[in-house]
Amino acid sequence: MRLVEFWLSHRNELLTLIGQHILLVGTATLVAVAIGVPLGVFAARRPRMSAPLVGFANMVQTVPSLAMFGFLLPVPLLGGIGPRTAVVVLILYGLLPIVRTTIAGLNGIPAPVREAGVAMGMTPRQLLQQVELPLALPSIVAGVRVAAVVGVGSATIAAAIGAGGLGEYIYRGLSMVDTTVILAGAIPAAVLALVVDGGLLWVERRLGSRRSHRRLGLTAGAASCIAVLLWGGALLAGRGSETIVVGSKNFTEGVILGEIVAQTIERETGLAVQRRFNLGGTLICERALLNGDIDVYVEYTGTALTAIFRQPLGQDPAAVLTTVRESYARSGRAVLDPLGFDNTFAILVRGRDARALALRTIDDAARHTSGWRAGFGYEFLERPDGYQGLASTYGLRFLEPPRVMDLTLTYRALASGQVDLIAGDATAGLISALDLVPLEDNRQYFPPYDAVPVGRSDMLLRYPQVRAALETLAGRISADRMREMNHAADAGREDPSAIARRFLSELR
Amino acid sequence: MAAIEFLDVSYTVPGGAQILDHVSLVIGEGEVVALVGRSGAGKTTLLRLVNRLLEPDAGRVVVGGRDAREWEPIRLRRSIGYVIQDAGLFPHFTVADNIAVVPRLEGWDDARIRSRVDELLQLTGLPPAVYADRWPGELSGGERQRVGVARALAADPAILLMDEPFGALDPVTRAELQSEFRGVQRRLRKTVILVTHDMREALSLADRVAVMESGEIIACDAPPAMLASGDARVRKLLEAVTVPFSQDS
Repeated sequence: MRLVEFWLSHRNELLTLIGQHILLVGTATLVAVAIGVPLGVFAARRPRMSAPLVGFANMVQTVPSLAMFGFLLPVPLLGGIGPRTAVVVLILYGLLPIVRTTIAGLNGIPAPVREAGVAMGMTPRQLLQQVELPLALPSIVAGVRVAAVVGVGSATIAAAIGAGGLGEYIYRGLSMVDTTVILAGAIPAAVLALVVDGGLLWVERRLGSRRSHRRLGLTAGAASCIAVLLWGGALLAGRGSETIVVGSKNFTEGVILGEIVAQTIERETGLAVQRRFNLGGTLICERALLNGDIDVYVEYTGTALTAIFRQPLGQDPAAVLTTVRESYARSGRAVLDPLGFDNTFAILVRGRDARALALRTIDDAARHTSGWRAGFGYEFLERPDGYQGLASTYGLRFLEPPRVMDLTLTYRALASGQVDLIAGDATAGLISALDLVPLEDNRQYFPPYDAVPVGRSDMLLRYPQVRAALETLAGRISADRMREMNHAADAGREDPSAIARRFLSELR
Repeated sequence: MAAIEFLDVSYTVPGGAQILDHVSLVIGEGEVVALVGRSGAGKTTLLRLVNRLLEPDAGRVVVGGRDAREWEPIRLRRSIGYVIQDAGLFPHFTVADNIAVVPRLEGWDDARIRSRVDELLQLTGLPPAVYADRWPGELSGGERQRVGVARALAADPAILLMDEPFGALDPVTRAELQSEFRGVQRRLRKTVILVTHDMREALSLADRVAVMESGEIIACDAPPAMLASGDARVRKLLEAVTVPFSQDS
């Protein structure tokens, strides 16, 4: 029921995301056909070439899609965040089934049929167009079907690099730990996959019955052209020169802050804003900002200091801000004034345990951890200001190595007793909702994490009104207010854009 | 004038066995010559030299007075009809479209193609109203083979190459098609090379029979002379068919 309400209240966005999804998969599949079929024809004629070619395509297929997106991020022309990279990845995945079925279809043509064509005086080209390709077509279409269905699935992951599509709901849902939102994206994606599968299966069967090839060929050709035109249009419409692209990290607070920044720019400047939210992690946001795929997003000073610029930990907020500001300036980015709250890591335990064991500081907890299990997000285990340093600073030892899970899932894992200690965000709305208690960082291990908007200098110079708009936010978001907003999203299931709108109207 | 001449022709599979060993054979216009012999004797290889599906490594093949190597292969093939064992019909073309392949390649207009297709369907005993729009998969073996012959005749070639054209048919259908072949040939007077391993078929259809063994022509004569041959190798081939053949001749 909530699902239907969600779809109804988001129907415009839902339609846009479905459209983006279809466009991503459609474009990628068309290009994969345009490359894969000629490759297949080439390989079928030179059997020696076909083994290495299929082997290579096979290898590409085994690379997990998220890793593939990661590989491509720094690649010029093909990479970066946004639909282009997603399309490239989907093309690479689509090639294998298409090449393979093209080869199989051509090899499956009976020798006498081919021989008859040659003996009647067909040129190699005529033989290919009139005999070989038409006869291999059902097999090729089977490959296209596999490519398209796999594409619909892989495209959901593309949301992690800001390519849009139904994956946005899935990522948003994951970050809000809201099954309804996950399903809001997953169900249409599954339906889309079924429709694509069924539709192409129908085409395949029709072709198998050997009728109306020419008409189908024309239809397919026309459909391809329309899709390509649509794509071209979408690319042109995607980013006008007067558009500011706002990014965000992939957790609740990141998205809410992204909305606040986006709506502030919209209200104060009237410039068009494009949202690229839920980008999968600090370094993806950093890369996107560096490449100009996004113009601005909200980062935390301590995170920038350690994870991006790999500087030693610092404790003084003003000194850290200065260091970060100078480091960003060297690569053409400007750090605006802090928004007002420090989202440090909070080492959390269950309220029940805290009361029973009288835990107040991390030192207090260190006495008990040898019998506890810990759960951390991926980033926390790797970052320089993360688990390793924390464990050595406080001498923490656990019953077993910490479990790795999605950051947003750690809160529930703690509340439900699967783990006994986690590292969450100090401003996480779930902390009070789930009766969790933050322990004091009494040895001051964590650096300050002041939330700051970071923007590209060229954009800020070109649109001074954007800087002015964002400065109206300086010091206006308290830790309590942020926690409240996170809570409204996580526990109250309120929409981040509605939360941001309410906050901004109260601000005036 | 000779329609086809094989002059001291040899052929070796690249990196493999020698298939043809200095073969010479001259075939006159309008003559039907059967190549007979067991599998691997070189019959099909010799046939394929005519339309340059294969090229000899020694000797010359002359077609219509010109060395085959001087012919542009596509031109040469379009002027020679080719019939193979399982007909090799295009399964995605209707019967009419299969027959129209060479005329279409040659750019005939639709009306001419249509009337030619109807004419050939009549000639091969397939009423156009029934067969023109059917698919090869819906035909019996005999019907498919008739379409194969019609397709080979479509552009009215002077030469017809037939590789085991009736080999895959049941005996009744085979006899029926053989007799129709004789009737059609009497009217059209094509130059025909017919490859078969069936001596009986060769004797009943051909003006001359060439017996091949291990890449050589070991005997070549008209059927009556062939029947009287004293060559042991020829007699061996004849033994299988002599009795029934002499009964119905």
